Amino acid sequence: MTEKPIPPVDPWTKPYWDAAREHKLLLQFCPRCSKHIFYPRRYCPDCNSDQLEWVESAGVGKVYAFTVVRNNAPSAFIGDIPYVVAVVRLDEGVQMMTNIVDCDLDLVQSGMPVEVVFEKLTDEITLPKFRPVSDQAGRS
Amino acid sequence: MNTLKGKVAIVGIGEVPTGRYPERSAIECAILAAQQAIQDAGISKQEIDTVIPTAALCNAAFNTDLVTGRIVEELGLHVNNNLQIFAGGATSAVMLKVAAGLIATGTSKAILFVHADKLGTSITDQEGIDLFSTAGISKEWEVPYGMHYSTVAGLITQRYMFETGTSAEQLAAVCVSNRKWAELNPNAMFRKPLTIESVLNSKILSWPLHAFESNMLADGGAAFVVVSAERARDLCECPAYLLGEGSRVTHFALSQDADLTRFGYAQAAAEAYQMAGLTPTDIDLAELYDSYPIFQLIALEELGLCQRGQAGAFVLNGSTWPGGRLPMTTNGGMLSQGHTGAGGGIAILVEAARQLMGKAGERQAPRARFAIETATGGTYVDAHVTILGTEIP
Repeated sequence: MTEKPIPPVDPWTKPYWDAAREHKLLLQFCPRCSKHIFYPRRYCPDCNSDQLEWVESAGVGKVYAFTVVRNNAPSAFIGDIPYVVAVVRLDEGVQMMTNIVDCDLDLVQSGMPVEVVFEKLTDEITLPKFRPVSDQAGRS
Repeated sequence: MNTLKGKVAIVGIGEVPTGRYPERSAIECAILAAQQAIQDAGISKQEIDTVIPTAALCNAAFNTDLVTGRIVEELGLHVNNNLQIFAGGATSAVMLKVAAGLIATGTSKAILFVHADKLGTSITDQEGIDLFSTAGISKEWEVPYGMHYSTVAGLITQRYMFETGTSAEQLAAVCVSNRKWAELNPNAMFRKPLTIESVLNSKILSWPLHAFESNMLADGGAAFVVVSAERARDLCECPAYLLGEGSRVTHFALSQDADLTRFGYAQAAAEAYQMAGLTPTDIDLAELYDSYPIFQLIALEELGLCQRGQAGAFVLNGSTWPGGRLPMTTNGGMLSQGHTGAGGGIAILVEAARQLMGKAGERQAPRARFAIETATGGTYVDAHVTILGTEIP
């Protein structure tokens, strides 16, 4: 079985990964633009400021788009089939790619409220993923 | 305003059959396609002063050969410049606009573009999936979630169907439309008739995407020659003039695009129409980049050729098939001709020129005066719209 790909860590993204290990989802916030930023950047993509703050996300949002991978997965993910890849819109206004986990795959839909959960990948890397809020999508 | 409108034309095209040809090397494809294009242009090879080979993905050493002048030497050319232009699937459009700039400024007089790759037989199917689960996908923010290109298409298709109510049958009809054209294309990989039922009965890759709604990696090669409009008029009856172009880069990481059902096509098309002095009703041919059927539906709508949400019905009722009122992706696209990397889009550009030059044989569109073409690279990071025509309006 091919090993899972490990995301490379840059100095300016390290706080994000350190927090994920502690089961916290961090976003950047640009005080000058009053805007949340995801994914973590070296500079604000709008105003170029390097004075970006880290804030903890409420970790809730809605599924924007999703797909259920049933065949032809990358080697490292064949053992995970079927799995859901989704773009989630967080309440803070940013979008992120993720997996929807811990639910009936057939009940995932656009607009479904989701909340963050954390899956450990290595000692250093924990990935934020999402599951339906409360008891939606058949989660017991 | 000084634009690229009517400054240059494609005057020669070349292409080798696309498919699985283990005995045929990529350099042979490049040489054959380039020779054909020069011959088709009816110019002396010594008139070529610039060679632009795009990137081959199959083999880094072969790609370095292209960068360092192998085509020039193999063909016995004497040129001023050999350089690589590569923008993934959008290479076709980018090559053409760079060519137009080089020729319009007098930097170059005759440019030969070449593409050849061997993605059909130099790697296994799984290696192809693995290559396209990393190439152009964010290693930090998207690769770790099991993304690859079928997944990208699945996400976009799901959201588009959700917003527009487009049906699975309508999406499958795009594959059938492309196949009907490929049946008439001797260079296509898949030429057997295809039905909507067989598309919908093929296995699910990334729901809602079916296997027959996915392109197939292939070996192939294509080339074309671009000269000034003045020189083009000396050389051929029906040169394919560049009339308009526009483009937008909307994202790198797919998740960062706020609207996965539109991308930058509407803005790109507005620029291209304005430059050409044409409107959607003037368009005779839509040579739309496929790779997956969803991108032809989005382009039909965003280019103003159909109302939003109506493209699926338009294709299902046969409007884009041979004999229909808007022939679309008439080489069969990457879904039926095959996907050769950067060459998928180049084959579509070459097909647009072929139709305008009246050289499309059995699949020649009866009226081919103005063609609109799209191209996009990576995870559909950019939207390029190009308008070509047999006359300069």
